[in-house]
Amino acid sequence: MTVEVTEVHLMDVASGESVAAELWHVITEEQLADWEGEWVPELFRAMQRLRRAGVERAHWPQSRHWDWRRKVAALQGMLANPGFSIVCDGATQGMMIVDTVKHRGRLDGQQGQHLVYVEFVENAPWNRAELFDPPRYRGVGSILIRAAVALSEELEFHGRIGLHSLPQANGFYANTCGMTDLGADPDHEGLRYFEMTPEDAQAFIAKGRSK
Amino acid sequence: MKIEISKDWCLRMAQREGDAEIGAGRLAIDPVFDGERIPADVAEEESPNVAFGRFVNLMRRQRGMSLEQLADDADVDMADLVEAESDPYHRPELRTAYQLANYFKVPQAGLMQVAGLAALKDARLFDEGVRFAARSESTAELTPEEGAALEAFVAVLSEQK
Repeated sequence: MTVEVTEVHLMDVASGESVAAELWHVITEEQLADWEGEWVPELFRAMQRLRRAGVERAHWPQSRHWDWRRKVAALQGMLANPGFSIVCDGATQGMMIVDTVKHRGRLDGQQGQHLVYVEFVENAPWNRAELFDPPRYRGVGSILIRAAVALSEELEFHGRIGLHSLPQANGFYANTCGMTDLGADPDHEGLRYFEMTPEDAQAFIAKGRSK
Repeated sequence: MKIEISKDWCLRMAQREGDAEIGAGRLAIDPVFDGERIPADVAEEESPNVAFGRFVNLMRRQRGMSLEQLADDADVDMADLVEAESDPYHRPELRTAYQLANYFKVPQAGLMQVAGLAALKDARLFDEGVRFAARSESTAELTPEEGAALEAFVAVLSEQK
């Protein structure tokens, strides 16, 4: 199987230096093996630490029960649901599955327009500051959202994307990505829905170009 | 699809991203269960539920299994299993209760009620759950009494349709 790969870089938090990484335009068995063999045990150990430290469950990672093997089995086989992953240092650092068919724009002026909807996106446990101090790599989220924007452009959706953020990630989508918060969605477990317009997408890309 | 992402872009955005959480997507455990919801009449209940955790604990120990083995064999989330056994206020995921019912070969509907994930249809199940929890001891090795309590409770559970 030929895997389309884009060269990217992550920031090694300990050294502050850049590290070469790869954005794979797919989620393969290799990623799922990493999830089972590396992510799940790390996540479990992190849960035990949080539990011992008396951290309330409300502050535990809300994606801790996600099953990527099932998600991929159910979604990625379909043409409308491509996946992306970031590989660095021989391990999967983040994964994302999107939908290119079912969702439409909700913002004023964007209603009914096609967009790329991010079904699921998650960082590796060791890149999450609430679980590991210090985390290993930064930048996974921005690169995956950049990939969603690029796919949206490729499909002539002009960079429009949408997603339902987990509560702990609302700040990232509002501030770092510059997406518009359309509020809690009662049809999606009360998660807040965020949308990026073509203009927001250009502004997001420009953010990484300006000092 | 061609994407060009420069090293400078990656590093600037990594700095902006900082330690932010990035997770997005439905909370449900996997798409198979996305459509399932806890019924509204039980969703807000916060009463403790010792019977479910004790039941899982004894069934597991009766089989001489560790939590990790059970999570693996029953294909359930280990963290959810740990919480289910140790926290009487924890309401397990729908999928966890579903998988455990299949694994332990007890009726799903009954175990869902015991887990607090479905409205209690048979008051006797609640009484038996309390009796079962009272009879069993969670930390000791499985005694003949615990075994008997477990079997009695399984019998009541098995009557549930």
